Amino acid sequence: MQQTIVGAIERVAEDVVSLVLKGATGPLAPWEPGAHIDLALPNWLTRQYSLCGDPADRESYRVAVRHDRLSRGGSEYIHRFLRQGRTLDVSLPRNHFPLLPAPEYLFLAGGIGITPILPMLRAAAASGVPASLVYMGQSRASMPFADELRSRYGDRVRIIATREQGRPDFAALAAALNPGAVVYACGPGPMLEAAEAAFPAGRLHAELFRPVARSFAPNTAFEAVCARSGQTVQVPADESLLDALTHAGYPVASGCREGVCGSCEIAVVDGEPEHRDAIGAPAGRMYACVSRALSPRLVVDL
Amino acid sequence: MTQTSTRPRRLSPAEVHARLGDPEAMVKDKKVDHIDEHFRFFIAHSPFLTLATADAAGRADCSPRGDYPGFVKVLDSHTLAIPDRPGNKIADSFRNLAENDGVGLLFLIPGMRETLRVNGRGYPTDEPDVLARMQTEASEPVLAIVVEVAEAYFHCGRSLIRSRLWDPASQALADEMPSVGEVTAAQMGTDIDPMVLTHALEESYRKLY
Repeated sequence: MQQTIVGAIERVAEDVVSLVLKGATGPLAPWEPGAHIDLALPNWLTRQYSLCGDPADRESYRVAVRHDRLSRGGSEYIHRFLRQGRTLDVSLPRNHFPLLPAPEYLFLAGGIGITPILPMLRAAAASGVPASLVYMGQSRASMPFADELRSRYGDRVRIIATREQGRPDFAALAAALNPGAVVYACGPGPMLEAAEAAFPAGRLHAELFRPVARSFAPNTAFEAVCARSGQTVQVPADESLLDALTHAGYPVASGCREGVCGSCEIAVVDGEPEHRDAIGAPAGRMYACVSRALSPRLVVDL
Repeated sequence: MTQTSTRPRRLSPAEVHARLGDPEAMVKDKKVDHIDEHFRFFIAHSPFLTLATADAAGRADCSPRGDYPGFVKVLDSHTLAIPDRPGNKIADSFRNLAENDGVGLLFLIPGMRETLRVNGRGYPTDEPDVLARMQTEASEPVLAIVVEVAEAYFHCGRSLIRSRLWDPASQALADEMPSVGEVTAAQMGTDIDPMVLTHALEESYRKLY
């Protein structure tokens, strides 16, 4: 965790504010475009937001937050109750959406999904790699940073207000894609599904805000053997591995509890995990909040 | 202990008034008929409340409700929603609301001496947009209580000051209590090992949602 102080809270679009979080005790941990942080809110909720500022700025982080109409208390808290000057603990940046080297980029952003794309576009422009952005949202007023993007990058940015102009034709974009160009997309589920249908899988990198609804085999009980302590923790069918480990006294971090943020990553020594996360766990790792076991026994590095 | 032969003396409303006098004007004026921004702020930071209801015959009940701060949602300045989390399935509050929709709420914030009182009328709902806002740990409540606010006001902190409710030293009081297992075993008159009952209760606490 890093301690920050809430700086300017600024309205940047309809129902969207940007937050500047200044390091309270010196420079903040470095990050790369695509990274996100957890905000530990005063109401005990932890929420993940993409960093949308400048990675060269080590004094502060910037995030932008849309007020979700069905907020469970995260975005509502930030919009209504968070005040400038308050201290806020944030995690170290994590990156499940890194910008890999490519000869050309096409960025697709839907609404608040613009946030991880902002530093990506900046990095591409700074390194002289050709890059363009198609930025869509329901209405121009609901799209944060639209004017700033147009003035900075000019014609390389297309702003599409879908309520007036309809959705952009992804198939046409895919057909016009230069060989070698890579697509980065961030936005709501339906937009990403359309992108997945239009662009070749190997050339599309996508980041979701919420997990896709998927179905899994019914939960079964299994046991988690903690290799370092030697203790065996029973995980009943109606309890997550994360909860079982926490109840047994293992301090496993947690965040979204939906398999999106990656806070609860643990190392697997033996056994076969059933990965249910939306991140794609690296080999030998799993996310304890949603993932379970295909084998009756998992050995974890705890 | 011996039963007293007479009940304590019952005062008439006039006698009560004679002893207490009239409330100060400021106290009367602090009642408002809606949830203003200050009360909204309070509710957003409150992890606990008591919910008072009564049935048609006036038989009253008070039950605790708690979750993360802000678990009670302010739907608009006249409407709250309280999630119904799994409890002991004694649905006294819901049974009462079916007969008598009057509700009294007392919100607490740990460390804060003043409390927030909200009175109004309540009814159960399963409105998906309301329940979605109450989702935690990949589960959501099946019911919520909607409260139409009639009055809301801050209650002064004297009782919490006198009771030392938030003084960490006060928590030593809990150590004086026999375990819940011992109490339950004695009340039920069973010879089950109290440790077993306490353990069973602790097990049930592992599943909070």
